[in-house]
Amino acid sequence: MRAYECVYILDPALEEIAVKEKTDRTREIITSRGGAVHKVDAWGKRRLACPISKRTEGMYTLLKFSGDNAILAELNRVFRFDDAVLRHLIVVDDNPLPPATAPAAADS
Amino acid sequence: MKKQKKKEKKPSSKPCRFCMDKIQIDYKNDTLLRRFVTDRGKITPRRITGTCARHQRQLAHAIKRARSVALLPFVKVYYR
Repeated sequence: MRAYECVYILDPALEEIAVKEKTDRTREIITSRGGAVHKVDAWGKRRLACPISKRTEGMYTLLKFSGDNAILAELNRVFRFDDAVLRHLIVVDDNPLPPATAPAAADS
Repeated sequence: MKKQKKKEKKPSSKPCRFCMDKIQIDYKNDTLLRRFVTDRGKITPRRITGTCARHQRQLAHAIKRARSVALLPFVKVYYR
């Protein structure tokens, strides 16, 4: 188990329900493979520093989770084939959340 | 005259900001990273910013990560 951090940018034209659906799906991918989601942080709409596929804005979401590398492969695959995901980045979490607060965040 | 001018040029040692304030370098903190990037989007050399070698390395890594998720521009200011 290792702590990871994922940032993904969604199409700004997506509706709120669709965005929620996406976060639920990523959560499911992680939990079904024995991982745990510690934190989901939606930054909301932000202006992109450079246009990506003719879009100047994007919906940013930060995801902190832990798990095995099978999750990474699946997440990468799902994000790459999803047209609504403009960009994604998964990196090893440099300063993971302390274990005491992690379960509490996962419950809520 | 010329020699005197040369003598005046002393390398001014600026303290590394990250060592002084113990700031964690994070690729998500784009307001901080923007200070270490020129208006063309290039990474400022450490002889100008005074960052120490270790933090400059971390900074460069963070800037490159930030670019890939469109938090920082790659080459120039695209809009305006």
